Amino acid sequence: MATFPLPSRPPAAHLALDLQRRLAPAAPFLVLLAAWQALSLSGLFPAQVLVPPTGVAHALWQLAESGELTRHLGESLSRLLLGFTAGALAGLAFGTTIALSRVAEAVASPLFLTLWQVPVIAFVPVLILFLGIDNPFKITVVAVAAFFPVALATFDAVRSVPRGHFEVARVYRVPLTALVRRVLVPATLPAVLVGLRIALTRAWVVLVAAELLAADSGVGQMMEMGRQMFQIGVVMAGVLVSGLVGFVLDRAARAAEARATRWRRA
Amino acid sequence: MSGRRPLSRPARFALGVVPMLAVLAWWQRQAAAGGSGGIAFASLGDIARAAGEQIANGALQTDAVATLSHALIGLAIGATLGLATGIAMALSAWAERLLGPLLQALRQVPMIGWLPLIALWFGTGEQSQIIVVVMAAFFPAMLNAHAGVGQVEKRLIEVGHVFGLTWGQRLRLILLPAALPMLLTGLTQALAFAWIAAIGTEILMGSGAGLGVTLQVAQTQQRLDLVFVSVAATAVLGFLLNHSIRRLRAWLLHWQPAGI
Repeated sequence: MATFPLPSRPPAAHLALDLQRRLAPAAPFLVLLAAWQALSLSGLFPAQVLVPPTGVAHALWQLAESGELTRHLGESLSRLLLGFTAGALAGLAFGTTIALSRVAEAVASPLFLTLWQVPVIAFVPVLILFLGIDNPFKITVVAVAAFFPVALATFDAVRSVPRGHFEVARVYRVPLTALVRRVLVPATLPAVLVGLRIALTRAWVVLVAAELLAADSGVGQMMEMGRQMFQIGVVMAGVLVSGLVGFVLDRAARAAEARATRWRRA
Repeated sequence: MSGRRPLSRPARFALGVVPMLAVLAWWQRQAAAGGSGGIAFASLGDIARAAGEQIANGALQTDAVATLSHALIGLAIGATLGLATGIAMALSAWAERLLGPLLQALRQVPMIGWLPLIALWFGTGEQSQIIVVVMAAFFPAMLNAHAGVGQVEKRLIEVGHVFGLTWGQRLRLILLPAALPMLLTGLTQALAFAWIAAIGTEILMGSGAGLGVTLQVAQTQQRLDLVFVSVAATAVLGFLLNHSIRRLRAWLLHWQPAGI
């Protein structure tokens, strides 16, 4: 059948096909946006209830122009950074310790596993009672949310380093700092990075929830204020921003992961 | 690395009890001293009494049933939709192209982030709470079903073609059993997410009954004893839910070689 060669496509058609393939994923969005705009302009629902996409864009623009968006986003991100750093460092230290010492594991793991059964969000009312509703509370919530995944990933990673590695290091009398830097870190890095990424995205979710509940600024608070003042455009802009931040954090962490473990694929 | 010798069971148990007792003792001392930093520490006796009261007047049971029903109704709807969508996307390139990018985009928003919007549209009642739980349960079920059915070995599918099975038979006899481990992983994750979402929506919306509602009300009333009773109930129920689905998974997958 296919004995004679297929005619090669003219370049213009090729380009059009390429463009079509690239734009195809966007098509459902465009259809949805158009349907949404049409529905909100049709007057079936009150304009305040079903804000059209243009209305959301307008709200976002106003928030950006007045500096509100930068302020809220900046507050949220600085809380995230502080809380995540504290929680992740504590998780790394805790996970490594209970993985290396049987005594430390026996002492700490029952309490750790008990607390782990509680959803982080249920700690929110407890922490509010102890810390109030200001920044210390929000940073602590983020730290708690980041601590558990990092501690578990670190524990698993350090535990699964082959015993032989440590024995060789002992035979060669490798000092502790070199042991950590040249044996422990390379062997555990991939798994720990996955734990850090999961912790980062969870921390963001918990922070938005905490800000919804109690804050004077932040992306969550921006949405909550929008809700109380019945500005659905602002609420939707907040949904959009929190989704974008979550997406960017996840992608950045994945990129860092790929960079840091490049040597593995070589 | 001095502790490489395995510890005996009683020694491990004794060591594990120490920090818990230490925390309890410290707590009791704070309560006896009348608290610090303006916090009224509830004594262990107070907490036990609050637990007894909550059980005696049935409030704890009502809350537990309400939270469980929010979580399980949401799970049933969300996981069913998620499994169906994931399977459809794995089997049909058309469904994948239509829904894939859209769902990936929606997935980026923290589930709790939808809450203010849903509260505006549907109020702060049970309906809104269940909608958020449905969304929380949907995505893990969908992602795992998509991956699980997509990863079924080609040769198994070809066997189905050779035997001339109909579409429904292929799905029932080949695709679903082969994808079952991943489908159950999806269900396990969906349950965990649904549980967290149920508690979270109750805390944030704070209407009706539920462990989260009581938690939130107790916090505003500075009733630390009640807060702890609710948190403990949350932990115990969460543990039991997780444990049951693990047992279900092991039972359904008993035909599989261990270690999967």
